[in-house]
Amino acid sequence: MAPRNTRWTRAVDHLKREWQIYLMLLPTIVWFIVFLYKPMYGLQIAFKDYSIFRGVANSPWVGLEHFETLFSNDQFFRAVYNTIQISALNLLFGFPAPIILALMFNEILHATYKKTAQTIVYLPHFISSVIIAGIVITAFSPTAGIVNTLLGWLGIDPIYFLTKPEWFRPIFVGTGIWQEAGFGSIVFLAAIAGVNPSLYESAVVDGANRWQMMWRITIPCILPTILIMLIIRIGNIMEVSFELVILLYQPATYSTADVVNTWVYRQGLQSGQYDLAAAAGLFNAVVAFVLVMAANSLSRRFSRTSLW
Amino acid sequence: MRKLSLAAAILAATALHAPAYADGHLQIVEGDPLELTIQMNHARYPVYKEDWPVEQQAREWTNIHLVDVTVGANMTSDSENTGRTEALNLMLASGNIPDIVGSSRIKDFVNQYGPEGAFMPLNDLIEEHAPNLKAFFDEKPHIRSALTAADGNMYYIPYLPDGKYGRAYWIRTDWLDKLGLDVPETVDEYEAVLRAFKTQDPNGNGEADEVPFFARQWPEFIRLVTLWDGRSSGSDTYHDFMVVDGELQHPYAGEGYRDGISNLARWYAEGLVDTEVFTRGSSARDFLLSENLGGSTHDWFASTSGYNRLSSEIDGFAFKAFAPPASVSGKRIEEHRRIPIKPDGWAIGGFNKHPVETIKYFDFWFTEEGRRLANFGVEGMHYDMVDGKAIFKQEFLDAGPVNRSLYQVGSQLQGRGYFQDYNYEIQWSNEFALEGIALYDEGDYLIDQFLGVAFNPEEQKVYDKYWGSVRDYMLERQQAWILGSADVMAEWDDYQAQLEKLGLSQVLEVMQSAYNRQYSN
Repeated sequence: MAPRNTRWTRAVDHLKREWQIYLMLLPTIVWFIVFLYKPMYGLQIAFKDYSIFRGVANSPWVGLEHFETLFSNDQFFRAVYNTIQISALNLLFGFPAPIILALMFNEILHATYKKTAQTIVYLPHFISSVIIAGIVITAFSPTAGIVNTLLGWLGIDPIYFLTKPEWFRPIFVGTGIWQEAGFGSIVFLAAIAGVNPSLYESAVVDGANRWQMMWRITIPCILPTILIMLIIRIGNIMEVSFELVILLYQPATYSTADVVNTWVYRQGLQSGQYDLAAAAGLFNAVVAFVLVMAANSLSRRFSRTSLW
Repeated sequence: MRKLSLAAAILAATALHAPAYADGHLQIVEGDPLELTIQMNHARYPVYKEDWPVEQQAREWTNIHLVDVTVGANMTSDSENTGRTEALNLMLASGNIPDIVGSSRIKDFVNQYGPEGAFMPLNDLIEEHAPNLKAFFDEKPHIRSALTAADGNMYYIPYLPDGKYGRAYWIRTDWLDKLGLDVPETVDEYEAVLRAFKTQDPNGNGEADEVPFFARQWPEFIRLVTLWDGRSSGSDTYHDFMVVDGELQHPYAGEGYRDGISNLARWYAEGLVDTEVFTRGSSARDFLLSENLGGSTHDWFASTSGYNRLSSEIDGFAFKAFAPPASVSGKRIEEHRRIPIKPDGWAIGGFNKHPVETIKYFDFWFTEEGRRLANFGVEGMHYDMVDGKAIFKQEFLDAGPVNRSLYQVGSQLQGRGYFQDYNYEIQWSNEFALEGIALYDEGDYLIDQFLGVAFNPEEQKVYDKYWGSVRDYMLERQQAWILGSADVMAEWDDYQAQLEKLGLSQVLEVMQSAYNRQYSN
């Protein structure tokens, strides 16, 4: 029989045997096509003078006009810079937080205490951003806020935190950690649970203490998970959760708080310039793509762990 | 046809309700009611309701029945009304444009998409089929100018507010009495009063916790630059352009503004203004007045006067309007007023098969009966005619906030093109509001407003390209100056240079050309 034929029959055999798995895959594929691939058709409006009424296909082409507008705008570059800066801070402080949390949970032996502590740190993840922003605004209020009350006890004059550009990033990154670190620790806890227990048993026999076991066994074993999460995180570096920024920023703090997405929201969506917004979005996506590729190849070279 | 209309008239004469109008002179179509689809979306009434008493009355009179097909109904209530714009965009993107589209913030939308064919130009329709609208516009040519798009056509029939007064200065007069002070007549006296509120403990709790000046919207605090002959906006929209002797200017580039901001920064540093003015938000008035902390503000007549009900809880509480204090040069102006034409209203969809009937229907709301229906609800149900005037029934006035009750029966809809009748509001304004309005009527404090321009596509492009950045920069510096992180006097020249660099003069140029085209005749 010809080799092609063999391959064909093998594929059919494979499908017959494993069709349930492919069936389970199907909804995800459909989701990808409908919500991620089909909308890519609309990306072309970044190069068009888009009118909702004329539609995507019938709007006239304008070439790179929208990109010229973007790149001639200082505020756009400031927004890019702010986005990267906030994301870098997020990466620096926000990325280790769930790992540390997971390691700490792993060391708790008392089951009830552990579950209670986990529930408390997961909880903020389920609160809507609007309410989070309300809590933050109240907590940092110069007259009624808990933060300024505590500072008052130390003899420090109230600070109007939310109008100070230098305070925006710490508050924003801190809020993000408080909200997401607990929930983010779940994936690391799962990785820790997958570590082979016999490694710990033999370590105990060899007289290792808990600290040594964490450094020598747990962390090396979950390193692939950490690296994959890091690559994904780097891919999202251009995406700062802009609802929270919009809820917390003020014109007074634009200089540090205005990120690409909020800039696009103000310039693009509020005044109906969808084409310009699409151009900024495309720019974002290209930058994120380059970053993911770079992170992935670095990871592959140095640790043999990679997304693909 | 003659016979048929006679038959219809006889039929109508024997109809159930409203015998006064039974002659059917308001009827637009004969026979079966004509159904027209409508998209209507507003923060207060997300979709058009076919069982509103006002709709039913209009249907009976005109024989036109509006069917709700609203998509993207959005309750988001933000000052920029982005929620409504989103609903309109969604409607347009879906490709189905109903026969009638009504919304707040519809003006720019129809002016942009009307010329592309999404909405019908109304000029000829009005000329030929809408005598009441025609008469209205002939009498008020500036309204017609303000409505006209860059291509010379009108694409929507606006909601036209009536009455002059919007916001006023308010002060705790009982605090003034307690401290032995007079109502401030000048900016210096106003400053002295605010300082006394801060330092002399008028609420008597032994703490300097009073908030002398507060505002629900922080731009109301910026509006105080008028006390130093500056301006904060040319219309009832914040940060808007203004017209000075036929020339477009932006208030945030003027020297009075500079001096005003410099002084307001001083007030802010001294604690005469709410420390949290930029973040306290819409609950500021409610919170600070009920907690007996707030001293003075700049806010709407009707809603603010209502807080005098607090006198039952706070001994002696009196919050009254006072005339705008004289500025440094002695001018008394009230910058805010009701604008005579809003960017809200309704338009005819581009695929409407009955444009003539639709414009006649729009015209119906400008007849005497239609206008009363749009303002007061249904006769006998919500109001009675007394000496030729519509007077609300007592039980309707007692049923809670009257404007809310009216929205619920389908009156006072800002997604409908109609001419408001201020009498509707006078009937439920309390004595403090009426007293304040009388005070403002005595002096001539109001100033002319900029009614907006309609850009052609080229002008629109220039405006879109530059204005967002200019505006962001203006607001950013404004807050920085007030909060004391920079000094307006020291920075002013740099500020002007930066505005120039960001393209303010290009924006002003296109606004001027649009303005000249629109208002020259």
